[in-house]
Amino acid sequence: MVTGRLAAEGVVVVREGRALVAGADLGVSAGEIAVVTGVSGCGKTTLLRAMATLIPRDAGTLALDGIDAAQIPPMIFRRRVAYVPQQPPMLEGSVQSNVATGPRLAGASITPEALAALLIRVGLPEDMLSRSARDLSGGERQRVALARALANKPSFLLMDEPTSALDPSSAAHVLALVRELSRQGLGVIVVTHVEEHAERLEGTRYVCVAGRLTVKE
Amino acid sequence: MGYVDIPFSRLVLALGFILVAIVLSSRGALRLEREIAWGAARGAAQLIAIGYLLRVLFAHERPGWVLLALSVMLLVAAWTSARRVKRGLRSRALLLYALVSIAAGASVALVPVFVFIVPPTPWFEARYLVPIGGMMLSSSMNVVALVLERLFAGARLESATIEQLLALGATPQQALAPCTRAALRAAMIPTINGLLTVGLVALPGMMTGQIVGGVAPEQAVRYQIVILYQLVATTAISGALAARLARRLLFTKEAQLLVPPETELEPRK
Repeated sequence: MVTGRLAAEGVVVVREGRALVAGADLGVSAGEIAVVTGVSGCGKTTLLRAMATLIPRDAGTLALDGIDAAQIPPMIFRRRVAYVPQQPPMLEGSVQSNVATGPRLAGASITPEALAALLIRVGLPEDMLSRSARDLSGGERQRVALARALANKPSFLLMDEPTSALDPSSAAHVLALVRELSRQGLGVIVVTHVEEHAERLEGTRYVCVAGRLTVKE
Repeated sequence: MGYVDIPFSRLVLALGFILVAIVLSSRGALRLEREIAWGAARGAAQLIAIGYLLRVLFAHERPGWVLLALSVMLLVAAWTSARRVKRGLRSRALLLYALVSIAAGASVALVPVFVFIVPPTPWFEARYLVPIGGMMLSSSMNVVALVLERLFAGARLESATIEQLLALGATPQQALAPCTRAALRAAMIPTINGLLTVGLVALPGMMTGQIVGGVAPEQAVRYQIVILYQLVATTAISGALAARLARRLLFTKEAQLLVPPETELEPRK
């Protein structure tokens, strides 16, 4: 039994006869950062979505703490392995109700203080809680989505291009936050096409080419 | 009180209305002449055929025949409501789900009414079961078609949001709830509007028919009230059941969204 590890091996995802992911291996342990770079269309996002169990795999294994993902109810798996897409959709309502979504879906509640703390953690002002989430800018949405993912207290975080909509100073804040989260024990996989951001994350580097990953030395 | 007979020679006079429409279409270059003529011929043929069929059914009134007639109506209703959604989804499952939804909605509205409110004697009396059953089935058919179409279109449009909710740990039911609510509301609104405007704008067909046939208006009105209430129950039940069953076609066993292909806004020709 391997605790504190999310690992995909030999993952294949075929769509309309084309292998978008063609036998990729990618894993991360608690407290680690893995960074995947590669040109757009190489299959990075598809691999991340497969690791979040949001799309079916055509081959390969996915294990959480050494347990086959198929043995874990998807709703439980996804609370432990959070996924933040590149353009996270905001749900109707306030920022507060967006960030509280995960606990609410599980029938739990989260205190306003905890919600405010989450916003501050992602670098947003606490008074943003009452604003309508759909009126936010792209960068603000990305960070609200990160706070929303963290509200579920996941063990692993999968982030697709988390800095793509951010200005340089906001991007620096999010990158610092990712490093901080990993120091706190979260295992993080970040997909990015920005080489400079990939370097600043100081994690294990992977390069994605035509649906396969290689470790970047 | 009787009613005025329509001999065949006078029925033909009604074709004058169709001629008026054809002339208007031709003058205005609407190019609807063929459609109007075809529609008029087909509509008349279907109604004349059903008239004779009902006559045969009334003459040989046996439970089996009456139930067979209702079953054929149910099948046509299910097929019509399911065919609006394009192939690619499991169309057989869709047909089955439409059938179950329509049957359940119609039965819940029909059985108590025929047992407690308008008990026909014998229980299978066709002149009650067939027309009232037909009204429930057709209303149910429209609601199921609308719910399926709205639900699949909504799931396609909102796929990113649905997937985000799944990623946050939502069950398929939770993730689809906003789409389901919107589809059900849209499907129920025409029936509710019907309740609000009935008697003010149009007198419903069944009531009109009964009054022309010589039934006392206050009795005809009571029938109509029962029918309208039945329609509300039928649409609510059929719609909710169709939405629930259709959800199975939108998610894998592992709670992954299967983005549905485009639905056709127009029924296939």
